[in-house]
Amino acid sequence: MAEKVLESHVVRGTVRPGKFIVARVDRLMVHEVLGSRVIPLLDRMGVTRVWDPEDIVVVNDHWAPAPDIRSAVIHRRNRQFVSEHGIPHFFDVGKGICHQVLPEAGLARPGELIVGCDSHTNTYGAFNAFATGLAATDSAVIIATGKCWFRVPESIRVEIEGEFPEMVTSKDLILRVIGELGTDGANYMAVEFHGGLVDRMSVASRMTTCNMSVEAGAKTAMMGVNDAVREWLKRRAPGADWDAVEPDEDAEYYRVMRIDLSEEELGPMVAGPYLPTNVRPVSVYEGIRIDQAFLGSCTNGRLEDIALAAQVMEGHRVHRSVRFIVTPASREVYLEALRAGYIEALTEAGAVVTNPTCGACVGGHLGVLAGNEVCISTSNRNFRGRMGDRESQVYLASPATVAASAVTGKITDPRSVV
Amino acid sequence: MRDLHVLRGRVWLFGDNVDTDQIIPGRYLTILDYSEMARHAMEPLRPDFASEVRRGDIILAGRDFGSGSSREEAPMVLRELGISCVIAETFSRIFFRNAINVGLPAFALHYSAPLVAEGAELEVHPEKGYAVVVETGEPLEFEPLPPFLMGLLRAGGAVEKFVADGGMDWEAIEEGTD
Ligand code: SF4
Repeated sequence: MAEKVLESHVVRGTVRPGKFIVARVDRLMVHEVLGSRVIPLLDRMGVTRVWDPEDIVVVNDHWAPAPDIRSAVIHRRNRQFVSEHGIPHFFDVGKGICHQVLPEAGLARPGELIVGCDSHTNTYGAFNAFATGLAATDSAVIIATGKCWFRVPESIRVEIEGEFPEMVTSKDLILRVIGELGTDGANYMAVEFHGGLVDRMSVASRMTTCNMSVEAGAKTAMMGVNDAVREWLKRRAPGADWDAVEPDEDAEYYRVMRIDLSEEELGPMVAGPYLPTNVRPVSVYEGIRIDQAFLGSCTNGRLEDIALAAQVMEGHRVHRSVRFIVTPASREVYLEALRAGYIEALTEAGAVVTNPTCGACVGGHLGVLAGNEVCISTSNRNFRGRMGDRESQVYLASPATVAASAVTGKITDPRSVV
Repeated sequence: MRDLHVLRGRVWLFGDNVDTDQIIPGRYLTILDYSEMARHAMEPLRPDFASEVRRGDIILAGRDFGSGSSREEAPMVLRELGISCVIAETFSRIFFRNAINVGLPAFALHYSAPLVAEGAELEVHPEKGYAVVVETGEPLEFEPLPPFLMGLLRAGGAVEKFVADGGMDWEAIEEGTD
């Protein structure tokens, strides 16, 4: 699948795994890195005109609203850049996290080659795009030329059949997958997700799955188009024409992994510090006392995640020694959660609901951890110091497990709370 | 043009899975000045690193060096501190890409690194694809980088190459590859 997208975008070189090629990109996403790093590089390069304002998407989301002067300056630079170059797709403070707002705006479509100056750009694979993360220098070169160099990846095929058991989600599934692959098990590779369960998955769950593939090193993750995606695109990208890619019958894979949830019993999974691939069944970590529970991020800050947390919290209160922070992934998600009554229910139960932002996930603001504090989080990384002090500890889990833990004050199997 | 025939420096040893949050924690990313940011390089792992490191020093690391965030600041702070190259058993994809893009040579061994003492003097031959521990003669071998990437490194990174060539010379990508 990945090779097919590269094939339709290549301008130089031969698309074969391991080869270096140059390809044109359909879209570039840049966030605060534009203001902090890319603009100075463009100045150095003498670039005064961008390749195509329509295909550059700018988001102010990591430190939003600005918690300090430095971020405020970066945000202002982004605003100036956008107005100078007439960039129509600009999502300012409050709109939400990049990986949520691009798909919401219909800017992630099948068969596209999308790059973003953020490692979780893989998320758009849920929409059958070849999407990958890179950084400031690449972004500057793309802004100037619309092109980028790539190493053509090998592919790993993951087949998933069966149904999710009660209180088990796509987060538990992807933790299970990356736990098996290890931090570099998919390094440089494209991970394809296939199978009945992937076909039936909601858009949000597909995004969660593709999002965390990067934690196993994946360059990109891709899924075929399903009904939920078709429905989504009809509503959000009406009139856009796109061509879905499917793997060839005889496609070659570096590795094939099969997971059948009707045979294998999948329960809630938790990744312990300090690696997202340090994954164990929740029972291994059960009972560890927590100071903070965080529900949010581009991995699990969507409506179905907040709904699940609200369901788990029903009839319970947030434990008195826990801060339960809920950060919707976008304004749209926030409004839907508000209308559905989740925001009210969670707030009444003692949660702190923040504006949409990356916030606590990046250790930037709205939930930074002190030394030795323990947090259970729906986000995607638990590296040392990720969410605050280097002596703090982060456990990664599903929204259900995070909400259940917020209730009891310790890491808890959600099935024992509901 | 940077001369990449031979690089020589003292070794700093790091283990497996050194992620970008160790190389430069997220909260320092809003610092605009790289020399100021570089003072926090490797802070969670080795708080003394930034103050003790000398120009020319070499990082020798285990598997999956630079995993995690796409932040280019990670190779940038190492370059800023004068690290002449990073040798690792393997690199995380984005770190490798960024390192080349910012002009920090990065060489992957693809096997378990031999025991090398911290502080040992290493001589690296990027074009020939090997390094030796000066005192013991112990070799470390790696695949040389394709000419296109070496070109970026010699120029001091993709931006410098763009400036020198007045644009991006994409044709070079096919040179030396079959
Ligand atoms: S929510 Fe976290 S992982 Fe996602 S883009 Fe923001 S900082 Fe990165």
